[in-house]
Amino acid sequence: MEQKDKLFKEIFDSNSKKIFHLCYGYSGDTDVANDLLQETFLKVWQNLDKFRNKSLISTWIYRIAVNTCLTYLRSEKRQAKDELTDNIIENRVEEFSEKNEQIALLYKCISKLEENDRLIITMVLDELPYHEIADISGISEGNLRVKIHRIKQKLTELYNQYASV
Amino acid sequence: MQAFDQIQELWQKHEVEVKVSADEVLQQAKKDINGIKLKSALNILGMLISFFAIAGVWLFYEYQSWTTHAGFIIFLLAILSTTIILYRDYRLISKSDFTVHPKEFLSRLKTYQLNRYKLYNQMYWLYTMALSLGFIFTFLEMLPKLSSIQKALAIGLTFLWILFCSTILRKAVIKREKERISLLIEKFERISGQFSA
Repeated sequence: MEQKDKLFKEIFDSNSKKIFHLCYGYSGDTDVANDLLQETFLKVWQNLDKFRNKSLISTWIYRIAVNTCLTYLRSEKRQAKDELTDNIIENRVEEFSEKNEQIALLYKCISKLEENDRLIITMVLDELPYHEIADISGISEGNLRVKIHRIKQKLTELYNQYASV
Repeated sequence: MQAFDQIQELWQKHEVEVKVSADEVLQQAKKDINGIKLKSALNILGMLISFFAIAGVWLFYEYQSWTTHAGFIIFLLAILSTTIILYRDYRLISKSDFTVHPKEFLSRLKTYQLNRYKLYNQMYWLYTMALSLGFIFTFLEMLPKLSSIQKALAIGLTFLWILFCSTILRKAVIKREKERISLLIEKFERISGQFSA
């Protein structure tokens, strides 16, 4: 048990920041991102002995996080919260507009993307290799490249459109 | 006009701060449960206080009629048996840890929810009937000593109190507790779901 604790702490310390960024990019809300991070690492903790080293542990955790994000807001009880996501982001924009308007705008633009696209672009922005993103999202690398190209274009368009307003 | 590379640079420049540690992640899951455990424990404590207070009143004063003694015995038995049921339910959720045995814990939490539902429905009416019977027996000796207004007040207030507890209060408690436990079950099922499929 002590060894599992130690291993978990190491895994948490080396992956939590990126996973939190993914969750934050997906939800646009710190509290929701914290919930998602917590759920992800609870799953990691419980299933650590099931990890078979077939992929990188970070890929495995990303896969868990992506699944957690998708099921979290889709669950019936969270519907109301899901609808709130836009409002939360709108509010956050105002909240940190003085500090960093550009970053707030970026989160707002990400929130305008489709759920799956939000997660994919977050991983792209974090410079995850394409083959890993393909593995995590369950899309073939060829299709993923096309998809990423399209999402990048859409995000850039959205960003420039909002920036010029 | 910004290009994607600049957007990416912007993203990477934004430092996010993870405010929880590995220990806190595991503790957080326990914290949700501790709220329910605490409520359950307070419930038991409240029942025990009532038990000793009523036992004190029974022993402290001298009663002439056997009906009063019967009334107090009914009160105490009703409170004691409900406290034992509450304690059994408390043990159900306090014995298992979600972070160690998730499946066992989830099944215990579901049993707990079902038990609470039974407690607030069938069991509650038995409890109310026992208390009402207790009041009738104790009133047989006490009421004749009171004036007409006091009699009316004693009967009226007791009746209203039982009515309030059985309707508005009971419904509110059932609703709040059901929502709280259902949310936890949903959360823990979601956490366990990805790997059990």
